[in-house]
Amino acid sequence: MNDSKWDDRTIAAASSSVIIIGALLYYWAGEVQSTIELLELAYGSLKFFNNPMVF
Amino acid sequence: MLVSGYYSWNWLEATHVLTLMMSIGSLFIIDFRMLGWVLPDVSATAIADRLHKPMIIGFSIMFITGILLVYAKPVENVQSLWFRIKMILLVLAFINAWVFNSRMRAADGTWDSARVAPKPLRTGAIISLCLWCGVVAMGRFIPYDWVDCPKVSNTALLWASGCVEQLNAL
Amino acid sequence: MLSSFLSNYRNVASLAFIVLAVVLVEFFEVRAAIYPSLLPFFEWLKYSSWIGYLGITYGSVYATVQAGHLISMAIIGGTVLVTDLRLLGVLLKNIPSETITKGTHQCFKYSLSVSIATGIFCAAGVADKVYYMPVFWIKMLALLAGSGFMFFIKQPLLNSRPHSEIGPWTLRMLAVASIFIWFTVAATGRWIGFS
Repeated sequence: MNDSKWDDRTIAAASSSVIIIGALLYYWAGEVQSTIELLELAYGSLKFFNNPMVF
Repeated sequence: MLVSGYYSWNWLEATHVLTLMMSIGSLFIIDFRMLGWVLPDVSATAIADRLHKPMIIGFSIMFITGILLVYAKPVENVQSLWFRIKMILLVLAFINAWVFNSRMRAADGTWDSARVAPKPLRTGAIISLCLWCGVVAMGRFIPYDWVDCPKVSNTALLWASGCVEQLNAL
Repeated sequence: MLSSFLSNYRNVASLAFIVLAVVLVEFFEVRAAIYPSLLPFFEWLKYSSWIGYLGITYGSVYATVQAGHLISMAIIGGTVLVTDLRLLGVLLKNIPSETITKGTHQCFKYSLSVSIATGIFCAAGVADKVYYMPVFWIKMLALLAGSGFMFFIKQPLLNSRPHSEIGPWTLRMLAVASIFIWFTVAATGRWIGFS
């Protein structure tokens, strides 16, 4: 890991990639969770996320 | 079941549309390469060979989801003018792809690193681009009701859309 | 000290500034404050602009432009997949990734321009609906982030030196982030039609 390898552009690229991947994982995980909750409401009591609406 | 289930229709349709990026995306890159628009300094047959796999995977997914979509709404699709044109264009596109492929195999490798492919292959690429644009456009038209059976009175259109009941009533 | 850091790390500093700006915008609820003032623009787009008029009046024109939007999306997908799967070492391994990156970028730029132009037309026809859809705003955010990432971060780095001089994990993360964000732009776009 010498200086020439980790220059300005590389750090910016690596960190922005991490930010983008992290943000998108967070977003899609939320979508998956809300979809499963809707399916729980529709089809039965799977109770994956302790949804109080599901009995 | 497929139409009424929560999200199942949407998932199928979204998969069908998003796989466009894989199937038509790879196909158009191959066609564009033949026309010299992308990657002109890379061997044309290498591009065609290597992108063949993702393209076939993409088209297989499109085919399966497409059949399920038709299966879910059979009457709407079979009696749709757009669906019928789309199927004809698909058949033409596959014939064109087959001709294109055999021409590419038959041609000797001398043109391989040329910026543009020989004329017959370029023609094939342009036909392929037009046909697939037509297929996508027709697919997009299917949900619209401009020429749905109850709305049409023109006999030729009724015949082309296969509106049996309306034709019998005439 | 600070000025030498800024001159040596211009990209990092800009990125940090953008991230900080996003955090501040959320923290001070600037977004919620701006949001109502955007409604007149979206209403104008649908009811008073000529593209809105064209889209509402002629369904066939609207559907054709949508088809154009889909085709340009497919081409964006094709270029992104080819470029990024090459960076990941999945496809076209015997062709240098520098060649692929340079050779597909022009095509990517053209298809992105077409899809943005057709996308504005599509949005104008349903502007009063998309304004209220979170998924539309997420798509716009992803589009903005994806374009910025592509033109100011990914391409400058990949064009600045041979790819063997860039760490393999950096390349992989660039490729995954790029595929992921353009997939999100396309998928959220499809969802606008369903909501």
